[in-house]
Amino acid sequence: MKKLLSILCVCLSVPVFGQMKADDVQTFTLDNGMKFLVIEDGSIPNANMYLFYKVGSRNEHPGITGLSHFFEHMMFNGAEKYGPKEFDRVMEYNGGANNAYTTQDVTVYTNWFPSSSMEVIFDLEADRIGSLSIDSAMVESERGVVLSERSTGLENSPWRVLGEAVNSTAFLEHPYNWSVIGYESDIKNWKKEDLEEYFNTYYDPSNCVVVVSGDVQYDEVKRLAQEYMEPIPSTRQPKPVHLVEPPQTGERRITVQKEVSSPYMLIGYHTPEAQHEDYYALDILSSILSRGNTSRLYSALVDEKQLATSVFTNMGESFDPNLFQIYAVSASGVEELDLEKAIFEEIEKIKSEGIREDELQKTKNQKLMDFYGQIETINGKSNNIGTYELFFGDFRKMFDAPQEYEKVTQEDIKRVANEYFKKSNRTVGVLKANVED
Amino acid sequence: MRHIIYRVSALMLALGMISQLTFAQTAGTFKLPDYEKFTLENGLTVYLMQQSEVPTISFAAIIPAGAIQDGEKSGLSFLTATALQFGTENYTKSDIEEALDFIGANINSSSTKEYAQVSARFATKDMDTVLPILKDVITAPVFEEEEVEKERKRMISNLERDRESPRSVIGSYWDRFIFANHPYGNPSRGTVTSVESFNTSDLKEFYSNYYQPGSSAIALVGDFSVADMKSKIEEMFSEWENEGDQITEGFGEPELALESSKVMLVNKGDARETTFLIGGKGVKRDNQDYVAIQVVNTVLGGRFTSWLNDELRVNTGLTYGANSRFTPMKHAGTFAISTFTATENTEETIDRALQVYERMHTEGIDEETLTSAKNYVKGQFPPNYETSRQLATLLTQMFWYGFDENYINTFQANVEELDTQKAQQIIAEYFPKENLQLLLIGKAEDIRTIAEKYGETVEKEITSDGF
Repeated sequence: MKKLLSILCVCLSVPVFGQMKADDVQTFTLDNGMKFLVIEDGSIPNANMYLFYKVGSRNEHPGITGLSHFFEHMMFNGAEKYGPKEFDRVMEYNGGANNAYTTQDVTVYTNWFPSSSMEVIFDLEADRIGSLSIDSAMVESERGVVLSERSTGLENSPWRVLGEAVNSTAFLEHPYNWSVIGYESDIKNWKKEDLEEYFNTYYDPSNCVVVVSGDVQYDEVKRLAQEYMEPIPSTRQPKPVHLVEPPQTGERRITVQKEVSSPYMLIGYHTPEAQHEDYYALDILSSILSRGNTSRLYSALVDEKQLATSVFTNMGESFDPNLFQIYAVSASGVEELDLEKAIFEEIEKIKSEGIREDELQKTKNQKLMDFYGQIETINGKSNNIGTYELFFGDFRKMFDAPQEYEKVTQEDIKRVANEYFKKSNRTVGVLKANVED
Repeated sequence: MRHIIYRVSALMLALGMISQLTFAQTAGTFKLPDYEKFTLENGLTVYLMQQSEVPTISFAAIIPAGAIQDGEKSGLSFLTATALQFGTENYTKSDIEEALDFIGANINSSSTKEYAQVSARFATKDMDTVLPILKDVITAPVFEEEEVEKERKRMISNLERDRESPRSVIGSYWDRFIFANHPYGNPSRGTVTSVESFNTSDLKEFYSNYYQPGSSAIALVGDFSVADMKSKIEEMFSEWENEGDQITEGFGEPELALESSKVMLVNKGDARETTFLIGGKGVKRDNQDYVAIQVVNTVLGGRFTSWLNDELRVNTGLTYGANSRFTPMKHAGTFAISTFTATENTEETIDRALQVYERMHTEGIDEETLTSAKNYVKGQFPPNYETSRQLATLLTQMFWYGFDENYINTFQANVEELDTQKAQQIIAEYFPKENLQLLLIGKAEDIRTIAEKYGETVEKEITSDGF
């Protein structure tokens, strides 16, 4: 849809968009500390605004687990100018839509709208950031919504149940111990004051990075940001999370029960945060293990031995050291211990023999294709640029990523496999129907 | 996450909620990018469109080989489509996988209720590696027995596992409930008993019956020269031959026996919530009022501020989300209100959903709400056609449902001309008012008497084979 709209854009020039570069991202920071990243892209007459707040479940403590996510919901429930329901009504009337998500590390608000509605979006966002109003009746009905969200996740996804169990076993001190959705008892317990305290602590403009992409002009974005966002004062800096997970000194195992037809397995190894020098090697190792049918784990477990029907791995980006995860679903009639053993055999092979040059090259080629996918849409641009800015400390790292992956050697892969894939560093979780045998 | 992004049916995406430049009332003609369409001598329809934002190419193919052709062998179309990649006359399965994985390319093949589809994405520089493989996957698969057997086992495991999640199986129960024994009632991925029953020769026979160039189409969108691509495609795909007679679908619009309200209650013994659909007959894709129907449905259950979500989520906190949707196909369609709630709130949630629905029928839609929905539909349209993949899919959908860019180019006018009076007619004509059908998946012993309140109830076990 790159060119069809040009005939309509009588008042706007349509830039010929070649391959995107770091210099195409323009930035400014308001006096209150709110940072903006802007990408002009007129390929469709739409734009988006992604607001990344540096607050997630890692900022919670027992008693208020799940509050970051609940707060995400409350941000839609009324402020000074736009009361309850008005945020969504005004946005949709103006052709816009929104969503939001919360993770262990961040809370992200996403708005998608025709670019002509940008000022309305600034007005709506400034209202709730500057003067959110927490209404007791809305807290109660939203509590029901979040309990339903929690319940439907557990009802429909065994991975939710198993993931919560593995995290609570692998992390004993760090807040990655609890799930983003939180404990049911905490969801039912928090008070309006807890919410107000949370808002005042974490929703400071200086704790937010805003990315705007689409059919917009940098100068216009800056003007609107100065008009709507700059008057919101910065009043405090959230205190850093001080909790550090001590090194794990022995294998941990956890079993959970759910009515499933065959066991699910999740193995987690403690690995470093996104800004650590081993991140890229571990991410490549994840691809080598599970991406595509030629990957190590798929070809051995699913294709050759038929012990699993699916297997995947994840090396996510996070602020603090987190888990490298290996997920597998056992095939009908397979004992989960056989599956587990086969996974470890593949890992041991990489630890002792390393990987082939063509496997490394394959992954680098795949990463380049991923990059093209990330910059093909305005939403991909905003989400990825924001993610790099927060998790890697600088949006330019997104454009450096292909070179960072290029630098990784076969020796690096073998080294990180040996360093992190140790028995004493892992947690093995199993979810199955019959837990009494 | 704040809410599940409203599931816009594939069709709605495909047939084009075209927006103008802005949501405002600017007049203007919205046009699809130029594309070339031609037909090879064997009858294969080809669409080519150049898009150069990134140096990649997207491919899509559509073949009339979906579950409606399964007959007694439920799941045959799906396994056949999946197995296209298990080796061809010129490439083994591992040749294909190694070649594609190494360059970060991928090919997907699957089938839906009505058709099979093959899609691919690859870098422009790799087109001479990928195109010959794609051609072979579509025109010369060998259905290697050992690989088919492995896939059959995986497919059975997946069918069993789907029964752990109401959301994964509710669509198959619904289609069987509404369409009964008509082929549109066939589950897209079959049943365990059925998938166990057929063999490789069935796949080969199904392939030769339904995978024919004369009734299929391919589309390529991306960074290439249309003239060069045209000669490549002509050369490669002209070799694909039609085998015997073209098989037509052999059935028309299903007669639905929906003369009274009925309830299907599917028992899931460990359920903590009830997942349910309420609805009935919908519309076919070629319905002349389809755009207007979508705008009206946006008001009822197609966005966050929709009346259903507002009542069931925002006002009462009974659920995380509620929506409504039409699922239009070539010869048939369904309409359903969809939500879920804690077991103990089942009755209240159903009753409130029905009240909202009835209120739409009695009161219609006010001017301001309709304007908002029209703005919303227009404003949210362009991102549906942003990537090469989305455009390639659109082109094959045009082929399947028999529309062209004119449909897209008049979309805006169609949205604009809808007024409250026409909306009232749309509601009366297309949103089923009487004899609503209810499908509930939940803990039967707790909700059985509630279910019976709404109509004659049949009960099934979620763990039993079939739907």
